[in-house]
Formats: sequence, structure tokens, C-alpha cells
Amino acid sequence: MSMKDLRYILILLALLMLSSWDYSGTEKVIFDESTPLMLLKSSLGKEIPSHYLKETNPKETEIGRQLIFEGRAQLEKGKSDYISKFYVCTSCHNTVKENIDLGKVDQEARLDYAIANNLPYLQASTFWGVVNREIWYNDDYVKKYGDLVIKASKSLKESIQLCAQECSQGRVLEDWEMQAMLAYLKSIEVRLGDIGLTDSQLASLNSNELDQSEKLRIIDEHYLVRSPATFSEPPADKKEGYGMKGIPERGKAIYELGCQHCHKEDGVSDLVLDNAKKTFNWLKKNITADSQYSIYQIVRQGTYASHGHREYMPHYTQEKMSDQQLEDLRSYIVQMAR
Amino acid sequence: MAPRMIRNLTIVVLLCLCSQVIQAQYFIHKTFRDTRVVNGHSVETNNEGVAKFIISHRFGTISSGPSEFFGLDQATMRIGMDYGIKDWATVGIGRSTFEKTLDGFVKVRFLRQKSGEKSIPITLTGFSSIAVNTLPYPDPTRENYFTSRLFFTNQILIARKFSDGFSLQLMPTMVHRNLVGTLVEKNDVFSCGMAFRYQLSRSWALSGEYYYVLPDQLAAGRYNAAALGFEVETRGHVFQFQFGNAIGMVEKFFITETSSDITKGDFHFGFNITRDFKLRGRKY
Repeated sequence: MSMKDLRYILILLALLMLSSWDYSGTEKVIFDESTPLMLLKSSLGKEIPSHYLKETNPKETEIGRQLIFEGRAQLEKGKSDYISKFYVCTSCHNTVKENIDLGKVDQEARLDYAIANNLPYLQASTFWGVVNREIWYNDDYVKKYGDLVIKASKSLKESIQLCAQECSQGRVLEDWEMQAMLAYLKSIEVRLGDIGLTDSQLASLNSNELDQSEKLRIIDEHYLVRSPATFSEPPADKKEGYGMKGIPERGKAIYELGCQHCHKEDGVSDLVLDNAKKTFNWLKKNITADSQYSIYQIVRQGTYASHGHREYMPHYTQEKMSDQQLEDLRSYIVQMAR
Repeated sequence: MAPRMIRNLTIVVLLCLCSQVIQAQYFIHKTFRDTRVVNGHSVETNNEGVAKFIISHRFGTISSGPSEFFGLDQATMRIGMDYGIKDWATVGIGRSTFEKTLDGFVKVRFLRQKSGEKSIPITLTGFSSIAVNTLPYPDPTRENYFTSRLFFTNQILIARKFSDGFSLQLMPTMVHRNLVGTLVEKNDVFSCGMAFRYQLSRSWALSGEYYYVLPDQLAAGRYNAAALGFEVETRGHVFQFQFGNAIGMVEKFFITETSSDITKGDFHFGFNITRDFKLRGRKY
């Protein structure tokens, strides 16, 4: 063997070693149903937002859960102060999936899902997947409240602070509280399996057939990164209503899963809406009234916190209760008042 | 301590504990609209963290005629504040102009009416109060004792909400007076009250109460207290208007010192106004 042959052999060996190094050091990421949406989008070039905690621990997550469900947390030194005297987060927000199709607004499907899973039918968007959203307090919230919500519309942390102080009439969250709540919210983030991709779409995300932007487009078609919010008014003529025929069975679900979530005995509201005939008579009598006791007015406009009475009711946007559903509620009230 | 006493004490403690477990299952609410029926307490307690401000007036007899503006020219007043330590425990204090009386109470709900499986037919609340007369001693020259100013009341309030519109309450009561005016009067006065609430509409309700004092305990000229009231509930407020024969708003007054005779038409107009303030949060 000549020196020249030896040189070729050594070069060949070096190439082999390099090539083997290359293959053994790169692990191909397979996206499956358990892949967090945030990590998938990050691998496709999306920036991970600051509210998304890379690492959390179970203890912190549990504290966050307590803050969200109970308004305060059990710490080693004792219980923390309530964030609000009047509300907890779950007074207005669910913490689970609320709809099968996460790519569009469908009030009827949302109500069906609430009925099937016995979920409250609430004004606010669910916390489930809130870390995956890119805008908060959007659309008509910005139009109506302007500067108050501009910062919050671009930041989940600012949104949470705004909610703690304004929506729940409470106080500024401390850093540890914010951290714990974000930890809990991360624990209920959306995963790839939640957004209803077909097998072929899932396979295409794992192939090289599509470029990054096409892959992102597929995901965005299946998950709304914003929760649309359209404010609307009560009907011009409350006696006539919105002109649709109400379905009492649907209205019953709205009354029980929506109204009675807060308006129950020992609930967050002083105004109790029970199942007594007198209550339905009272609601019926007020349907056409020019007051907050009219279901049209209260659902569409809500009430405001005032001095000496900080409790209020947030309104339902069109996306959270359609005109048809309001007519369904009316028809149930009228039926029960007979 | 005798074994029997230990056993009884254990049973009492266990019953108390059981009552807390049972409370977690309640769902019959608002047996009465407010913590007072008319003069006396109802089985209701404040929600945790809620302070209830109460201002009450009782006027002179309506039969006093137009010269006294049917009693409105004279008034006794009580101003008070109750606070819910827990949903099932309330404490309160008050000050009455009548005999310049300070009072304080503790009220604990042991049982709450529940329907359905493992139903509980009644709501049962214990009430205990102390009242202090702060008037100057009528005869400062004699030896006076502070304890002579003290009055105690212990009540068991038993109520059932029969329907959305109708509730009934029984109130076995013992009032202890450290000092009484005459030898014929008893220091311990036993009575039993009965009260009701009937819902007229969603906002309006009719309520009433009557305290029957067992015979031979009070001085002559004392009558059983009776009152009929109308109450209206608005956002955060309850207004109660009533006609009755008592002018005191503390148990020792209306149970043992009522001097107006309803059979002679001696009625007094009065009202209670309550306003709730949330001082701290609670678990919803």
C-alpha cells in the first residue's frame, strides 16, 4: 500500500466518521397529538412569547390553580389575601375546552358542547389555551375601552392584571401570583391533538412536502389566535325582540348554565334567579322594560361597578350569545312564567 | 369528670362536627330574606366576609293620634353591625337609644335544610346575646353592681322553608336578667316564639312573629310581643316595615318588657333597613 493509497483511505475514513457524526447528532422531531402547539409553532419559526413559561413545577401550578379557582392560595405561611372581594376567575371563565372546532366561532356548537359536558355558558373566553392566543381584549373591547385595554390586548400578563383590577374589581397581582397563574395556564395549553387535524394534515406537518409558512397556515386554520368580540345592542323594540322564534329547550340550558352560574344562592351575585314561578314572572314582566332587569338589556349591555356596589355583570358579546340564543332564553322564561 | 359527662360531651362535639359535614351538602337557601324576622332573629346568617349594617326605628303608638303624628314624633332607634366570620357563624353589636343599651351576639348555624338524598328537614341556628344597660344608676347612693346591668338571651331558632313562598320558624327562648324590679318577676324568663314569611311577589314578602311568654314570669302590664311586617328586597338592601306592640329591638326588651297591649289597639310603626358590605372575599 502506497502512501497515496493510505491517504485516500484516511480521507475516506474521516468522511465516514463525519457523516456518521452528523446522523447520530441530529434527532428528527416528530410532531404528534401530545406536542404543545406553542412548541410546534416555535419550531416553525414563531417567537415564543414571554408569558409562556419554559419550565414550571407542580407546586407553582397548584398555587396558580387555587388563585384562579378560589381567588387565593394556601402558602406555607398561611392563606394569601383574596385577589378580589367579589369574584374569582372562574366566575366568568371556564378552564376547559369549550368547542369542538377551535377554528371558528359557532355559538350553537359552543352551547351544545356546554350542554354535553355540563359546562357553564359564560361571557368570557375559556382559559384553556389562553397562552396560545396572540391577542386579548380585541375588536370591540378596544373600540369601547380604548387606552384601558390597548396594553392588555398585546400582552397576556397585562390582560391578567387588567382582569384582576377592573373586571374582578380586585387588586394588582404580585409577581409570585402572576408567575403561578401563568404556570397553571401553561398546564392547560392547547396541544396538537386538540385542534382536530386529519391524519394527512398531521403527516404533512411531519414531512418536508410543505414549507414552514404552509404548515403554520394549516395550524392557524384550526385554531383562532384571537377570540372575536362584537358588541351589540338590545332590539329596538323589545316587545318584538330580534324577530326569531325562540326554542325553550335551548333557553333552559342558557338559563341554567349561563344565568344561574352567578345568579344562584350564595353565588357571586346578590340577585338570585331560582326556578320559582315568581322569579320567571318577574323576568317576564321586565323583558320589555327599559332597565337592567330586562334580559335584552342586561345581556347586551351588562352593568357597571359603582361606588358602594362594585359588583356588576359583564355583557355577552355576539360571539358568546347570539341573538337567536337570547330569543331562546326569552322563550324559556315566558314558558316558565305561565 | 364523670364518664357519663365525658360521653355526653363527646356526643355533643360529634354532633357539632357532623353538622359541619352536613353543611357542605346544603341547598335550601333564604328561608328568610334577612337575618331578622321583625324584632327577633331569623335562622339566616351573613355570608362570610359580609358586614351587615342595620338601622332600626320603632315609633310611638299609632293610637296617640295626630298630635303625636300617630307616633312618629317619638322614636327609639338601634344601630348595629353584623359580620359573617364564616357562612355559618355571625357576630354582631348594636346600640339602642332605649335605655341606652349596648348589645352583642353570636349566632351559629348548626344545620341547614336540605332536600333530596340525606335530606335535612330544618335549619337550626343557635343564638346567644348579651345586653348592657348603660343608663346612670337610678339610686347612686346605694351599692350598685355592674352585673345588675346585664341581660342574657339564649335561643334556638328552628325553621323550615315549606315552599319557595312560605317559611315557618320556632324560637324557644330563655332570657336571663341579673336584676329584676320586683320579687314576682323571674330572673329567667322562658318563652317560645313563632315566625313566618310569605312571599307575595319576587320583591315583596309578608312576615310576622309572636313571642309567647310562659305564665307567671313577668310583672303586671307586660304583654306578649307580636308584629306583622312587610319587606321589600332591592339590590343590596332589605327594607322591613312593621306594625307591632314592642318598641325595643333587643330580646330582653321585646320579650320581657313589652308594655303595649295589641288588644287595645296599641300598635307601633317601625322599620329596619339593612345594607350589606363585602369586606373580604370568600369561596364561591
